[in-house]
Amino acid sequence: MIDDQLLISGILFGLSLGSIFFLMAVGLSLVFGLMRVISLDQLLYYSLGGYVTYSVSVVTGNFWLGALAGMAAGAVAGFAAERLVYLRIYERDISFTMITSFGILIGGVGVIKYFWGLVPLPVSAPVDVQINVIGTAIPVYRLIIVGLSGLVYGGIWMFLNRTIVGKAMRAAIENVEHVEGLGINVYRLFAIAFTIAGGLSGLAGGLYAPLIMVDPQMGLDVLAFVFMIVIIGGLGSIKGTLVSSFLVGQVVSLGTLVYAPLAQMAPFAIMLLILLIKPTGLYGSPLLKR
Amino acid sequence: MSVLRWWWGLLLAFAMLALLRVVLPLPFANELILFSIYAMGCNFLLGRVGFISFGQPAYLAVGAYGTAFYLFYFGNNPYLGILCGIAAGIIVSLAVGPLFVRLRRDYFALVNLALAVIVYYLMQKVLAGITFGDNGLWFLTSIAATPVLDLSRPDQFFIFALVVAFAVWAFYKYIDDSIFGACCLATKLNEDKIIFLGYSNFSIRLTAFVIANTTTALAGAMYAVYLGFVSPEITSAARTPEPVVVTILGGVGTLYGPIVGSLVYIGMKDLISKVFGNWELIIGFGLVLIMLAGEKGIWGTLEPLLQRAFSRTATSAAITGVGGKTK
Repeated sequence: MIDDQLLISGILFGLSLGSIFFLMAVGLSLVFGLMRVISLDQLLYYSLGGYVTYSVSVVTGNFWLGALAGMAAGAVAGFAAERLVYLRIYERDISFTMITSFGILIGGVGVIKYFWGLVPLPVSAPVDVQINVIGTAIPVYRLIIVGLSGLVYGGIWMFLNRTIVGKAMRAAIENVEHVEGLGINVYRLFAIAFTIAGGLSGLAGGLYAPLIMVDPQMGLDVLAFVFMIVIIGGLGSIKGTLVSSFLVGQVVSLGTLVYAPLAQMAPFAIMLLILLIKPTGLYGSPLLKR
Repeated sequence: MSVLRWWWGLLLAFAMLALLRVVLPLPFANELILFSIYAMGCNFLLGRVGFISFGQPAYLAVGAYGTAFYLFYFGNNPYLGILCGIAAGIIVSLAVGPLFVRLRRDYFALVNLALAVIVYYLMQKVLAGITFGDNGLWFLTSIAATPVLDLSRPDQFFIFALVVAFAVWAFYKYIDDSIFGACCLATKLNEDKIIFLGYSNFSIRLTAFVIANTTTALAGAMYAVYLGFVSPEITSAARTPEPVVVTILGGVGTLYGPIVGSLVYIGMKDLISKVFGNWELIIGFGLVLIMLAGEKGIWGTLEPLLQRAFSRTATSAAITGVGGKTK
């Protein structure tokens, strides 16, 4: 059996991985639920967030300022992509928007390669302290990531349930025509959702940057996991995304302790199993149609 | 008459492809033909059945590894190797098909994407003992020279690939004209109605899924024989949307679309990476512009124009052609 220290650090590793996944997947899920756009370009905002975090933290010497700048960069990029590109193609079939988002993704990767080069760049962690929990040294930075993603979930929950814009957004996820019929400008909702999604992806990239190195392909590395999370949780469901991202994070992390090569594949097995039982994912509503 | 006309179009298209062999360097022409076979499967799935699949490289890799295992461990006949790849493609798509085709379209796209990544990890890590992980399987030297068409030589491989592409193309043309093709289109357009007509959506979709992915596996098998090595890179996440991109670029559901799309995509990629170096930038934003311009793709836009331009000459040519035969 696995010894305790390894288990505790494994669980923590899974939690922080799940948090990063959650930050990315929640935007994706929101964008899909609202606009039926499978937005591959979120992965670009993730890489962009990582790179901006790198540059700003090198220039100013403050990592948190960098992460904030990364989040802002992601949000601005998401907003720009929505206004310039998606606004013109919402009416189209889902495959066209998906291809367009792929175009933005690889075009953006090209831009990143142009500005920052191909070499992976290291970002220094802001907090090097480790604390001792039941005899296991735990890096505080990972705890901070978990805490921040908890805050983000709380914020998103408050936004969707306590503000009028958020309520309109939830209603639009259920039925966009009715919301439009009530006189609400749904295109403004779309822009808000895209900005939030881009910002969260940028934040995820910035927060994850110290744990890995930033490189142009970093978005593509997490692509499959993020999409698996969105499928397992059910497209368009925030709660489902939360549950499934921590599920996948733990499976990857603890699976690595048991048998490393299979750990990367285990989420896929879970996904197949869930789709076999419930084709719409854990919390996906079968009524969602457009 | 109409049969004659489309055969003419078919022959013309492939005569032009054969001409490319003279104009363009050989590796490029080979790559182009292989990629258009690859895109044909995706074109059928997307244009006829309405399934967008972001996981085509998974089936490509299945075909490629099926061939590679045969050529590396068992035999050295490339033709048998390609058959092994096709068999692997059929088996895998029959195994995953019943589960996948039940899903909604958006889920279908993502599940296939996940499958591609799983195949990647499977080949890179889990089966590393027999696939040698990232180093890949090298078997170029173990491919035996075959009597009629020697597949280990690129120039003769080109002829073989051209014949195969022609056969695949004609096969899809045949399906388009058959009742099964009509059924596929019907499940795309209205799945409730086709139940009332007494057909099963599930079995039509499953058949179409298996046909399309076997084509993809065939392309993978031919890639394996052509390149002489296979590595997990073939199904990496960065490459997953390529066939869909090519299909849409060429024009979804059109018969010449995959060829035109492959020509433009591979050509641009080749040219840009030679001249400019940073192909992603231009391809990516070019793609966005093309998507914004319209959803018909290049061939879908060109076809009506060409038809208008050539309609008079084409009909008169066909009539004289028939008249000439009867004399």
